[in-house]
Amino acid sequence: MKSRLAGFAAALLLQQPLAAQYRTALPGYRYEFPRDHFNHPEFQSEWWYYTGNLKSLDGHRFGFELTFFRQAVSRDPTRNTVWEVRDLYLAHLALSDLDAGKFYHQERTNRSGPGIAAASESLGRIWNGNWQTQWHGSDQELKAVSERFQLHLTLHPEKPPVIHGENGVSQKAEGPGHASHYVSLTRLATSGDIDLRDKKFEVRGTSWMDHEFFTHQLEPHQTGWDWLSLQLQDGTELMLFHIRRMDGSIDPHSAGTYVDAEGKTTHLHSSDFKLLATGEKWKSPLTGAEYPIHWKAAIPKLAIELEAKTPLESQELTGQTKLAPNYWEGAMVITGQRKAQPLGGAGYLEMTGYDRPVQLVP
Amino acid sequence: MPRFLLFYRLMVRPLLREPLRTLLTILAIALGVAVVLAIALAGDAATGSFRSSMETLAGENELEVLTSGGVPEYVVGTLATLAYSIRVSPRIEDYAVITDTKKSLPLIGLDLVAEGSAYAQSAFQKTAESQTQSAQVFNQVGDADDIWVGSSVGYRTSDRVELLINDRVRKYTVRGVYPDSNGNESAIVMDLAAAQHALGRYGRVDRILLKVPETPSLGDWQLRLRTVLPAGVEVRLRGTATNENRRMLAAFRWNLRLLSYISLIVGAFLIYNTISVSVVRRRPEIGIVRSLGASRGVILSAFLGEAACLGLAGALIGLPLGRLMATGAVRLMAATVESLYVSSRPGAIELNGACVLLALAIGVGVAVASSYSPAREASRVSPVEAMARGRREYDARVHKARDLWLALVLGLAAAAASRAPAVAGKPLLGYLAAILLVAASALAMPAFVDALTSVASNLLDKVFGVEAMLASRTLRASLRRTSVLVGALSTAIAMMTAVGIMVGSFRQTVVLWMSDQLPADLYLRPAGFAAADRHPTISSGVAEEVAKLPGVAAVERLRAYEISYEDMPATLASADLNVRRSHGNSDFFSGRPREQVFAELRDSNAVIVSEPFTYKHHLKAGDSLTLSLGATQASFRIADVYYDYSSERGSILMDRQTMLRFLPDPAPSNVAIYVSPDSQLEIVRAEIEKATAGHRVLLFSNRDLRAEAMRIFDRTFAITYALEAVAIIVAVMGIAGALLALVIDRRRELGLLRFFGAATWQVRKLILIEASLLGLLANLAGLALGFVLSLILIYVVNKQSFGWTIRFHWPVEILFGALTVVYGVTVLAGLYPAQVAVRLNPIEVIHEE
Amino acid sequence: MPILSLQDVSKDYLTDGQPVHALKGLSLNVERGEFVALVGRSGCGKSTLLNLAGAMDFPTSGKVLLDGVSTSSLEDNGLTRLRRERVGFIFQSFQLLHTLTVFENVELPLLLAGKRNPREAARERLAWVELEGLGDRHPHQLSGGQMQRVAVARALIHSPSLLLADEPTGNLDTMTGNVILELLKRLAREQNTATIVATHSLEAASLANTLVRLRDGKIEELTRR
Repeated sequence: MKSRLAGFAAALLLQQPLAAQYRTALPGYRYEFPRDHFNHPEFQSEWWYYTGNLKSLDGHRFGFELTFFRQAVSRDPTRNTVWEVRDLYLAHLALSDLDAGKFYHQERTNRSGPGIAAASESLGRIWNGNWQTQWHGSDQELKAVSERFQLHLTLHPEKPPVIHGENGVSQKAEGPGHASHYVSLTRLATSGDIDLRDKKFEVRGTSWMDHEFFTHQLEPHQTGWDWLSLQLQDGTELMLFHIRRMDGSIDPHSAGTYVDAEGKTTHLHSSDFKLLATGEKWKSPLTGAEYPIHWKAAIPKLAIELEAKTPLESQELTGQTKLAPNYWEGAMVITGQRKAQPLGGAGYLEMTGYDRPVQLVP
Repeated sequence: MPRFLLFYRLMVRPLLREPLRTLLTILAIALGVAVVLAIALAGDAATGSFRSSMETLAGENELEVLTSGGVPEYVVGTLATLAYSIRVSPRIEDYAVITDTKKSLPLIGLDLVAEGSAYAQSAFQKTAESQTQSAQVFNQVGDADDIWVGSSVGYRTSDRVELLINDRVRKYTVRGVYPDSNGNESAIVMDLAAAQHALGRYGRVDRILLKVPETPSLGDWQLRLRTVLPAGVEVRLRGTATNENRRMLAAFRWNLRLLSYISLIVGAFLIYNTISVSVVRRRPEIGIVRSLGASRGVILSAFLGEAACLGLAGALIGLPLGRLMATGAVRLMAATVESLYVSSRPGAIELNGACVLLALAIGVGVAVASSYSPAREASRVSPVEAMARGRREYDARVHKARDLWLALVLGLAAAAASRAPAVAGKPLLGYLAAILLVAASALAMPAFVDALTSVASNLLDKVFGVEAMLASRTLRASLRRTSVLVGALSTAIAMMTAVGIMVGSFRQTVVLWMSDQLPADLYLRPAGFAAADRHPTISSGVAEEVAKLPGVAAVERLRAYEISYEDMPATLASADLNVRRSHGNSDFFSGRPREQVFAELRDSNAVIVSEPFTYKHHLKAGDSLTLSLGATQASFRIADVYYDYSSERGSILMDRQTMLRFLPDPAPSNVAIYVSPDSQLEIVRAEIEKATAGHRVLLFSNRDLRAEAMRIFDRTFAITYALEAVAIIVAVMGIAGALLALVIDRRRELGLLRFFGAATWQVRKLILIEASLLGLLANLAGLALGFVLSLILIYVVNKQSFGWTIRFHWPVEILFGALTVVYGVTVLAGLYPAQVAVRLNPIEVIHEE
Repeated sequence: MPILSLQDVSKDYLTDGQPVHALKGLSLNVERGEFVALVGRSGCGKSTLLNLAGAMDFPTSGKVLLDGVSTSSLEDNGLTRLRRERVGFIFQSFQLLHTLTVFENVELPLLLAGKRNPREAARERLAWVELEGLGDRHPHQLSGGQMQRVAVARALIHSPSLLLADEPTGNLDTMTGNVILELLKRLAREQNTATIVATHSLEAASLANTLVRLRDGKIEELTRR
């Protein structure tokens, strides 16, 4: 549930009342892989989203985020030259140097142009400039170069793709089509290098990939969300999200998914889990937003009680253009218990709409 | 202090006693200094600070990727996905004309999606409208009619602007205004997609700017990047074009600068004259001062000091005058640069410390140098001369015969120098030859004046009466002074004549060349701003439609690109060679008929190159050259060399089919149309106008085009004429001043004439005849010297600087006209001195002894 | 009728802003053939008198009649014509034009008057002053006495009725000066020309028919012999 692009997309769509020409996410969608790992131009918005917790051989901890967004601008068939802006491609790259207490992030926007950015099944590649993921069979090779650091990681899936929601759609609001097709690779064994400050770290760890495509999903009264991905030591994973409403209440379309050690998934309705902020907050010096950075989650029917804390408070991404909403996205350390047995893990937390409501005009 | 007091009493006071003449001398220096300064300043403004106007909004990118005809688009993708932290900024670059104001501005296509955020942060955000700006960059990015403009253009957000781009006019909406500060020139900015659409140019971008990390070095980055670029695509330091332009303009500026020194040389003659007069007049005084104990050194330095004062005063007046003249000079120079080389917008004129120093140095330097000889003579006056009664005549120290021999030696040296090759690409020895000739003519002048006045005096006596006889006697008697004056004016006239003959010959050569070069009946070209380095195009298809019209026998499509060949700008062109008709003379060095040469070019990797091109790159027919065309690099054989006077840039011409193999853009820059012999030109013309109504194109008849070409040609040489005019003005001012001195020195004689029954009109006539004799002598000497100098200019200086073959031609009417004007002005310059002579009181002056 | 008649002539100048009364109500008649010596100290008005007599200047008051014509009634052109036809000048320092030959110097007044072919007249005048054969020389090739003879020849070239000589012997040694004075006297008689010689020389005074002594702009003594 990484809808931060929605706000940005909304700005664009002011001039483009053509959403009708795009397909919406409806139940019964037949997924097919690897096809559905790549581009869906018939949907207006789409993203590929990689986060992970990594550790170098000498124990230095890192978190990373690499996201590729695609936002359709026009499907006018007469606009068919190379530079014509049919889609905007945005990308975010962030590295959390957890032990040094440093957070680096960078943003870029491109059009597809002559091979500048795209998601191509034939090439097996999703890229934006020199940030890319290259598929080799079911493995993926992530490469990203920024001014201050470089990532080069190999991601190997230990489980098949997870399709969130029910009947192939993850419903986000009332009404047909207010939903997305949402696929995850919840446990990607990761190894590779991180170059930072002229130093090369050989790292290992676990990553998570989200891939979501939709045409519009949120309603104006939905002002922001909190999203958690949890990779637990017992080989299971959890994905939970809250959609917050203008009146401060939690939207009933909030949901989650539980993935057991074999890869079998259980859909969680908002009534199936509790997700609570403890009240511990970090105030952003840049945006003034106060982010709750300590969460408790409970899923009574799975007898799971967990706590998510971050080793690094400052993991806020602020857009250069002030176009995309500011958001907090960071590595989390998970502690807790299942059936009275201690259970730890790692995860990623995303929070939006804390500096101002995310404008969710479809 | 006493020394200064003495200097003031003995040297400065006499100057103040003749304020007008002193002023004229100072003004002559001032003008000379001003011209040199103006050209230096204007040169810097018009060309020196020349940044290609496309460098606007280039930001801090260090490298640029480019090739002839544009870089294939996919290279942008290749660079963007390289695993280096490089910022990639593709650009489409051309020009647009705002139809309302006729102002031509760079049209720059940027990737506003990728760079929009950068602009949102920097330039755009500084404007008042910035809050919504960045959002708009993205909002509007899909619209092909959105533009952003520089603040100095004067538009506001959401204004509608009509732009003429190539041969089409379109309305655009101003979406934002960026500040022109930070060295940004005003430009029209569009998104790449919109720019491609506006220009009808797809598949290529003109340039890709790169910002690379600080390490390794730029050279290493170039090496690294070259490995991923296609063969024809070059990566080089950004701003190389500016340097190339500078290099190309170097010879032009150098020659212009030298030309600007003519006025100074003329000024030097006049200083020499002024100081000489001053020395001769004050011989008794010098004698007295010497007998009272002044050393030779004191006398020498006193006269040098006097000259330095004049020089300094002249320089001080020359400074603001030069600054003023620079404004005009910039305009003229920019016109020349634009027609011959590149389109540039003149920068600001900057009068800096160096310029001030230059002005002072040349003002004082020229004054001191030219006064050295008379000052030395003054220092040799013996104390005994104080007692000598009467005045020595001016011819006291003229060594006619010796000087004539010296002149001969200098003339021979000049002949030798004119045969020497260029030094470091500059015709140094050619100019040396010219200077030697001027010096030789100055030395030969006394003999010339003496001989001519003695011949003339008898003749004049008969025709113009006693006044003419007296005038010629006076001039001959004060031989040295007369020679210097005639030398000054004749030098100016010689320069004018020489340049006049050169330009006239050049013009005639161009006229002849054009009649061969422009065989078609009608010419079509886009209305967009064209210049030596700008080649707007006609939409593809237009030429083909025109070809189908009844009465059109054939069309020839020409396409030109601006390229860089071996670090020099050049024009790469193609034409339908099978269409071009033969017309009289061969255009080629080899003298072969056109058909034969064209047959060699057809569909083969062979080109013909222009004469300036061979000169710049030391190539000749039979050599081969390698061109980067699009993504490829190809080798071409030079089949022949053709005469080309349209641009100094140097051109390469190939068959259209050959070019299309490398650069597939079919839009032509020009179309030449041949009308069938049995059709009426005006009817066909009307048909073509109808067929091209949807496009902004200009249709020229053969005659119009030639007239247009000649107009541009004349505009090109406007600056030269202006320099000539100033030199003449300086010389004429000198004549006026010198005549005034002559009148004052001869007031006794003039008074005497009144006693002997001379009427005032006779005195006036006498002075005017002297002026006209001076003018006549100067015209004769100047014409002769000018003729010789013109040969040096045409066959040495021009050839070595620019490499043009010019056929000698006497521009009789222009020369006759110019010389008549100079002559007339010289006589007019005698009016005031004549008036002074008339006003003299004979009773007073006769007793002044 | 006298060739020159000065009637109650006064002449004032402004010199450095101060009025100078050069002549004060002076009257004098000079007849054809009369040889007048004008003597007096420097500044007594000799030169002023000569200038007025030669139609080079107008009197402040009174009348100057040259051959019966009042100079005050004429414009510049008329004065010029009058000078050309009636008056010849000789100066202390000869005032020859060094750029011209002896012939040309002598011919000058005729040429200025627009006369053609003055060479015969010049030759004749040079014969009068005994300088035959020196006509093609330049002034600087002559002695002082010779130069003054040339000046005399020049002054007589147009057969003037009035010859005005301002210190003609001032730059010459006594003997040469006397020769020049004799010459002037002889020519005045032969040519029936009135001659006024301003001079310090007693010799000149003794040669004159008429002696006019000036003092402070007035005639102190007028002696006719």
